[in-house]
Amino acid sequence: MGEQVVTLQIDTTIVTVPKGTTVYHAARQVGIEIPIFCYHDRMPPLGACRMCLVQVERQPKLQTACTLEATHGMVVHTATGEVSEAQQAILELLLINHPLDCPICDKGGECPLQDQTFKFGPGRSRFVEEKRDFAKPVSLGPVLVLDRERCILCWRCVRFGELVAGDDALKGFERGFHSEINTPFTLPVQSKFIGNTIGICPVGALTAKPYRFVARPWDNLAVSSVCTHCGLGCAVSFDVRNGAIMRTRPREQPAINDIWLCDVGFFGHAYVGHSDRLRRPLVRKEGGLVETTWDDALDRIASRLRNGSRVGVLGGARLTNEDAYVATRFFRGIGGTPHLDHRVDAPAGSPSAVLPWGMTTAISDIATADVIVLVGCDVTETYPVLWLRMKQAVDRGTRIIAVTPKALEVSRHIAHHLLHAYGEASAVVQALQSAAQGGLTDERGGVSATAITAAAATLAGAARPLVMVGRLALDAPDGWATVRELEELCRHRTVALNVLRGKGNAFGAALAGFRPDAGPGGQPIAVMGSQLERIWGAPVNTATGMGAAEIIESVANGKLDVLYVLGADPATDAANRGMWTEAAARVPFMVVHDAFLTETARNADVVLPVLVSPEKDGTVSNLEGRIQRIHAAVPGPGEARADWQILTALAQRFGSRLVYDGWEDIFAELAALVPGVSLEARVPARPFPALPTPQGSAASSREQGDSKSGDYPLIAFVGDVLFDQGTMTSRCPAIVDLSGVPRALIHPQDAEGRGIHDGDAVAVTSPRSTIMVRAQLSTDIQPGGIYLPRGFEGIPVAALFDGSMTLAPVRIVAMTEGASAEPRKDKGSR
Amino acid sequence: MAEFFLLKYIREPDQGELDAYTARGGYAGLQRALGLSPDDVTAEVDQSGLRGRGGAGFPTGRKWKFLPKDPAVTKYLVVNADEGEPGTFKDRTLMEGDPHRLIEGIIIGSYAIGAHLAFIYLRREFHGAREKLTHALAQAREAGWIGPNIKGSGFDLEIVMATGAGAYIAGEETALLESLEGHRAMPRLKPPFYPAVKGLYFQPTAVNNVETLHHVAWILARGHQWYREQGPPILYSISGHVQRPGVYELRLGTTIRQAIDSAGGLRPGRTFKACFPGGSSSALLPAAYLDTPLDYDLAKLDVYGSMLGSAALIVMDDTTDIVEVVARNVEFYRDESCGKCTPCREGTVWLSQVFDRLRSGRGRPEDLTLLAGISKDMTGTCFCPLGESVPPCLNASLRFFRDEYEQRISTATSQVGHVALAGRPGVA
Repeated sequence: MGEQVVTLQIDTTIVTVPKGTTVYHAARQVGIEIPIFCYHDRMPPLGACRMCLVQVERQPKLQTACTLEATHGMVVHTATGEVSEAQQAILELLLINHPLDCPICDKGGECPLQDQTFKFGPGRSRFVEEKRDFAKPVSLGPVLVLDRERCILCWRCVRFGELVAGDDALKGFERGFHSEINTPFTLPVQSKFIGNTIGICPVGALTAKPYRFVARPWDNLAVSSVCTHCGLGCAVSFDVRNGAIMRTRPREQPAINDIWLCDVGFFGHAYVGHSDRLRRPLVRKEGGLVETTWDDALDRIASRLRNGSRVGVLGGARLTNEDAYVATRFFRGIGGTPHLDHRVDAPAGSPSAVLPWGMTTAISDIATADVIVLVGCDVTETYPVLWLRMKQAVDRGTRIIAVTPKALEVSRHIAHHLLHAYGEASAVVQALQSAAQGGLTDERGGVSATAITAAAATLAGAARPLVMVGRLALDAPDGWATVRELEELCRHRTVALNVLRGKGNAFGAALAGFRPDAGPGGQPIAVMGSQLERIWGAPVNTATGMGAAEIIESVANGKLDVLYVLGADPATDAANRGMWTEAAARVPFMVVHDAFLTETARNADVVLPVLVSPEKDGTVSNLEGRIQRIHAAVPGPGEARADWQILTALAQRFGSRLVYDGWEDIFAELAALVPGVSLEARVPARPFPALPTPQGSAASSREQGDSKSGDYPLIAFVGDVLFDQGTMTSRCPAIVDLSGVPRALIHPQDAEGRGIHDGDAVAVTSPRSTIMVRAQLSTDIQPGGIYLPRGFEGIPVAALFDGSMTLAPVRIVAMTEGASAEPRKDKGSR
Repeated sequence: MAEFFLLKYIREPDQGELDAYTARGGYAGLQRALGLSPDDVTAEVDQSGLRGRGGAGFPTGRKWKFLPKDPAVTKYLVVNADEGEPGTFKDRTLMEGDPHRLIEGIIIGSYAIGAHLAFIYLRREFHGAREKLTHALAQAREAGWIGPNIKGSGFDLEIVMATGAGAYIAGEETALLESLEGHRAMPRLKPPFYPAVKGLYFQPTAVNNVETLHHVAWILARGHQWYREQGPPILYSISGHVQRPGVYELRLGTTIRQAIDSAGGLRPGRTFKACFPGGSSSALLPAAYLDTPLDYDLAKLDVYGSMLGSAALIVMDDTTDIVEVVARNVEFYRDESCGKCTPCREGTVWLSQVFDRLRSGRGRPEDLTLLAGISKDMTGTCFCPLGESVPPCLNASLRFFRDEYEQRISTATSQVGHVALAGRPGVA
């Protein structure tokens, strides 16, 4: 690297930079500001706005600093009269048709056009003609609004879609001064990352519907925190005014989200201030839930907990690391129960209930893989920002082999997309692995031998593969077979399997020991017993407890007396909905900590109002185990408390000393127990060693597939969608708008002959139940399957499934009358 | 005595047929080229002194030498048949009149650079040329001049014809490549996207003009020495106020006066006022420059933006209102700006707004300074040559015909009496 540098002079400063550096970056390195609009340092230079013109000696014309590579001996002037005249010229030209409605523009106060006009612009304009007049604003989708008059056509938003997200969400239309930004076919914008375009817009042309005219930037207080929706842990900053979150913006975090966010990150904060938030504890009286005091609620809990040790504890994903740790200490120690688990939605005996969730590979290392094997993960729907990392890798030449039962929306960036029939992932992976070793393959799960062979050739040539498996594979009937094939594939290449599973702070719950088999840090609980007793100063139940599914089953069978649920909604999320219904009916006493009166909470005997993550101080862990600090941005509603505070108050009623001054105390205690725990450190998940591979693993795909019969000729399966309508997202109007009308994907082949057309309402009937859903004809799935989105109250997909099974034989019937009478509404209509 | 050849067979009704073309010596140049090494073909073109006829005048042989020789690297030859510069119509004439010559030139050029796929990017409106070329391509393919192992030479070539979507900017070679790839026609950043390095689909690409490839076919048929002895010849598109507008094959260096005379001279009783020597992108030249040779030295003239360009001579006599001419010219660039860079997109619309005001009798004395100012702001700041094409004409008009602007502003009338005020040309 030594000689790979060049030395140049910028104004009076000599600067040495690596070869390939642009003059713009060289100048920035020594603190010389060159104004820019179109250039954005996460995208290659474009050279369109001409704002960054500089004078270079021995060059006849001014040069754009953003595109000009610094060379040895180059002499650059950034502030000569000529440069200044050019800067003034460009700004004058940009402003001739700019409406200058800064006083009512959301961007005002943080607007590069304002700032650079102030610094580099002409004092006055020679423009006396009529300004361009566009109708405004133009709605480009559920959250995005375009003001064409303000747009300076820097092309950043268009290029973001082309280069960063890979979704081509926005495009340029018309030409010359008629040029404008719009969506392909002027349909509502299709993107999961559109909030970013609003952020990088250098003027107020793109604004967010939820933030329009809401606040002035100088009135906002930025509080740094972490998004806890999907579990990737993107760094955010909540802009707060008058105790409410005005908007969420990405905070630069090179290890995770760089400077980007997904739209759930951007617009998924409205639930925090929602009027449905629980403000006071509720207790069951004469059949109903009524408000009460904290003392009363806690006394009731204490009296029931005291009665015995037959307690099951569920929860985790909405807890901070500190909450989860205090819960572990409280229930293992004071409560004396080993039955605690955070994997509430893992089907009994499935790989999801056994494998450690999370990535062993660092997120920032994705770009270094040459081949990514992505099995059963709808990445943009589950961990959207992870896709941005993968896209970066693809741009550097990484090839992705995707094995999924539903086509990825980013499929055009996928080198080998092996779209298989649901429940056949293991067969495809097995063929892929054996073909990569030189074996021959045939058609598997609807994937042609040619496609598998081509993918195998790519895999065989991989030097640094990255193998990831997601919920669509883990929870499938052949989940274990897939995992074994993948483990084999990994063993051949000495890489570790990355398990893309878990939302929110599930990873922090695992770290804190909120699990039946291990203590904090994932060490076997039996080994940790004495250490825990020393630090906790009390006896600890070091038995290996039951997992979430078994806890629910035990409650249903009357084997547990108390069910304690912290930040989870098993009524919606439990894999075995039927079992939960039985458990909820039978449970003698149930306590729920939640921010909202969820379906689970409605059945509880005591409901305690808790803070949500933007209201909490502490730490959370992400998919790769990175521990990040969150700061309380806003106060909680009413008497809501942090979960750990509730548990310490409860501990007093047991005469126990469980006292912390704040999150720092708890974190320090956790750090003392678990080597490596510190802020910004990665403590990846550990395996769950105590649980053997269950023999009762769900039936193989063939067994379940056999239940397909003449009456139920199709196979329904369920996948996660980003814009769902869960407890939190359904209380964010922007997300509700983005989620639109949920659709079942049906292959055109299966629709044909059943008289089902795109957009029709259909009845999906399994041996258990019938649900109504709108159909979307799609070749994104193999014929014979029906894809149903998870997380919409309107389509209770779980009702179709038997027990823990994750596919259901179904039949579909078009509800023709209702469907055709109703005007068809486009998804996310404008 | 030098002979004229470029237009020699252009009026023969059967020139577009393979047999007639071959009978008149067609494909002899290609036959000869296939017997030479690619490097020798390039050397032949290089030694002929041929300069690109698209407008920039870059030596064709040198352009081909920029492409990597490595046969493992996929290379393309792209014909810029998107002739759109106002006043230029020579390429259309050649394609309609002598289509096989272009095909012959393409095959020779592709052989020289080692391309096995060539594209003709044809202007959408050239329906006649498309018909002729489609026919000629089919004949050539049938005869084995296109396809695998051309005439047993071991050289393979496919030629694909694509049409543009109606954008002038697509004549700019990198915008052409964007359009050919199916994208919005917007020029690419140079560097790194010099076509010879990263052209079509980011592969090394030679982009050549139609007339250039016609020259190439002749050079290979007759040899570079013969070619040099011919002048060299060049096609001038002569239009405007001359008696017989059309395409003329003249020797490079013909003066403006001689060129006008070749085209039948001015209309009776009229005097010369101004001309564009090289299409609408070149500067306006007044009568004082009538004896200036129309050659590459035009660029050295003391008039900013004077150039030979595509050798499109647009002649204007004393009935011409220069303010109207410049206004129309500005409107053209306003409408054809791709919208990528600020000075071109905003500058052209601002200029045309000022002209609209001048023409409607609402000019102000300071507008002359303003026009010059906007022109200066667009000079040297635009992304590509399109925006830079506006100042030459405007500056020259302000320099040589300032009085016409002044009269417009002070009296709200045109110096050329019969051009109506506030109105459009043609209203007497």
